[in-house]
Amino acid sequence: MNKFCCLFITAWVTVVMLLSCKSPNEDLPYLGQTTQADGKTVHHKVGNFSHYNQDSVLVTNKSLADKVIVADFFFTSCPSICPKVIREMMKIQEAFKDEPMVTFLSFTIDPKRDDVARLKLYADNLGIDQSRWYFLTGDKDATFDLANTFFVAAFEDKDAPGGFDHSGKIILVDKEGHVRSFSEGTDPSTTPKLINDIRRLVDLYKANQK
Amino acid sequence: MLPILLLILTVSACNDSPYMQGKRLYTVRCANCHMEDGTGLSRLIPPLATSKLMGGAAMACVIANGLRDTIFRDSVYLPREMPAFKGLSSTEVTNIINYINHTWHKPFTETTILEVEEALKACP
Repeated sequence: MNKFCCLFITAWVTVVMLLSCKSPNEDLPYLGQTTQADGKTVHHKVGNFSHYNQDSVLVTNKSLADKVIVADFFFTSCPSICPKVIREMMKIQEAFKDEPMVTFLSFTIDPKRDDVARLKLYADNLGIDQSRWYFLTGDKDATFDLANTFFVAAFEDKDAPGGFDHSGKIILVDKEGHVRSFSEGTDPSTTPKLINDIRRLVDLYKANQK
Repeated sequence: MLPILLLILTVSACNDSPYMQGKRLYTVRCANCHMEDGTGLSRLIPPLATSKLMGGAAMACVIANGLRDTIFRDSVYLPREMPAFKGLSSTEVTNIINYINHTWHKPFTETTILEVEEALKACP
């Protein structure tokens, strides 16, 4: 291979990389349907929730108003995808262990079995930082509806492993309740992008505070 | 052409376990909980490498019949149960056992179908 050929390939690779890279300051997209009301742009928001965490503390949208939320839907006896998703959540929490703005929520879709005590045992055995990761139990149907607003499918299915069918998405929600990014919890290769998106969102809030 | 073929054969030989059916069954049946790398999940799902069941046919009963409220690691009680995989043939159980032992237990000794069938007959 001659020098010109090498130079040409290097230049071409550089151009492709520049075109494919996004500016780190570029705003994250707003996921979901965007509408116009009174001349203003209205982005999709996740639904309201009122669930008890593993310490029997009521957690609501309002109580987390100043937090960036990373959420998933699971159940403790889930024999299929949940452990993989939880492992990715643990990686993400480790990446933000020194960032109090980021809070983690895992909503159980099996509240009949997953009471507060069971969620506490589950959290204790995971060995995670429970001050910023809440395992939440509440009304089953309200949780199914809530999952839809997070773009997560969750429903009862007696033929599914464990009795529930659900997707393993990990969802990033900003302080205003908008869905801004997600990863596939069953695919570890998608986790680094979500971590990067969370960092970008946190940095944007910090930059706006200055 | 020949060097490329040899390279492909070498790479595939280096990457693959000799227990390919066991690997496929492990990926589908076991890896959701014990993970692809066999490390499990904190104190919820035990890692395979340090299990006392490793090394022989002893895990056949656990694979076929599962465990319920009896999973311990050291002295720590793990609250999860392990589901039973009753639909597996003794050949499939053998292949899973050999894949797991070959991957995470040294020294490796191959478990035979006869040993697994004996172990399954003696399950509590």
